[in-house]
Amino acid sequence: MRRLEGRRAIVTGGGSGIGRASAIRFAREGASVLVVGRAENTMETVDLIRAEDGKALGMVTDAAVEANVEAMVQRSVSDLGGLEIFFANIGVTGTNTPLLEQTVEEWEEVYRINTISCFLAIKYAGRHMTAQRYGSIILTSSAASLRANAGAISYSASKAAVNNLAQTAANAFAGTGVRVNAVLPGLVETQLTRKVFEDARARGIEGKLGHVTPMKRPGRADEIAAAAAFLASDDSSYVDGQMLSVDGGVSSTHPYGRIAL
Amino acid sequence: MNGRLQDRVCVVTGAARGIGLAIAERFGREGARVACVDVSARRLEPTVAELVSRSVDARAFAVDVGRRDEVHEMFHSIESEFAAPVAVLVNNAVWARFQPLDEIDRETVDRMFACGVDGLIWTMQAAAPQMERRGGGSIINLSSVSASHPAKDSIAYSALKAGVVGLTRAAAMELSPKRIRVNAIAPGMIGTPTSIAQFDETTIVERRAQMPLGRFGEPEEIAGVAAFLASDDSSYVQGAVITADGGWTVAAK
Repeated sequence: MRRLEGRRAIVTGGGSGIGRASAIRFAREGASVLVVGRAENTMETVDLIRAEDGKALGMVTDAAVEANVEAMVQRSVSDLGGLEIFFANIGVTGTNTPLLEQTVEEWEEVYRINTISCFLAIKYAGRHMTAQRYGSIILTSSAASLRANAGAISYSASKAAVNNLAQTAANAFAGTGVRVNAVLPGLVETQLTRKVFEDARARGIEGKLGHVTPMKRPGRADEIAAAAAFLASDDSSYVDGQMLSVDGGVSSTHPYGRIAL
Repeated sequence: MNGRLQDRVCVVTGAARGIGLAIAERFGREGARVACVDVSARRLEPTVAELVSRSVDARAFAVDVGRRDEVHEMFHSIESEFAAPVAVLVNNAVWARFQPLDEIDRETVDRMFACGVDGLIWTMQAAAPQMERRGGGSIINLSSVSASHPAKDSIAYSALKAGVVGLTRAAAMELSPKRIRVNAIAPGMIGTPTSIAQFDETTIVERRAQMPLGRFGEPEEIAGVAAFLASDDSSYVQGAVITADGGWTVAAK
């Protein structure tokens, strides 16, 4: 299915993990993709897309800085010819420092990257999309936004704010035809969670990863990408302001056990 | 070109009209073989004829999903007629009446729950062993925004649709080891003839204004969500409820 034929998409955090998988998936569905990331692996994603005859450009920049987000939207419009999809996907994990010892500096940085980046995506993509009266903005949240003990505290709180942004921005864009939704991954091996997976492998308990979910396994980046593609496409044309959990069932059922992160 | 549901046997209840019909059509376009279920054989005929005319392998099965034995028998027939076990089940059939509390009668409640809750238990019970034999499957239950945001005269209906959420999550937990995913869709106001007929013009205008997308949904838009949940694109989505209401329930009114 090529549901995104002719569409232009920005994917941030596109150098690895969920962002890379989503950029590749969007391109396979026919979209031209502006891949944005802070590191050089951003261009590797562009190469991967081009290697399968997809259309992609890259931008190495911090997607939590206002001027950069404005520049990305301009680049998509000038070099790809428009913008219909923005997947705001950058994130940091925060630390597991005991709560009583956490610092404002850590919280400000986590909020800047996880939450304010989403606000900026909504602001600049929103200006373009509301004017053309069409667009889909997708925000990466997390199962940790709904439950304790699924991530660092600052991370969980910053992602709960992202859920709220999906609702409040959807409402703010009422009547414009622009949709805003959040995707809530469970445990997925990405740059953010690599340590968890590596530790588990080192201890020979890789099979235990994701065992608290009903599906008894962690998710894969391409499974989150498939959900993002659904939210990007017109298959979700009546889905607006929603939180889509893609977590193997961890947020919808009684916990099976404690999550060791 | 292979669709995302290529050659999979998909059962859609309440397939004769509205959302069920749109789902059956969409699944057909995605390559599925579709077992169309409805309580009325007469209503099903044009649906199935239309699908067949588009080269979809579609067959009609007339059954009242509230009758356990008949449901089990029907699933045996589906498997033997398609010569393959069921891969996808969409529980869309519903019978509902909207009444103020003092007017709700025994017959109405019995009939609503027989179709809208009991019926889901019987179809899941009959479908799960077939899905397990083929190595997994996807069950999609139709809830409603009424489960969490009740409209007027919907005491029985809200209970029914909240019940669908509960049984969906419980089934997700129970059937997960068999590689069966169970999820729900909660539509908002969908412009089917049946739903429109419930409201006067003033209510309709008022409702539209409350929705960020500013319009009622189309049955095809629910079918788009159902296709996602039926396909492997949702392979890590388990026990979820996807609300498709044009943003209706996001704001405090």
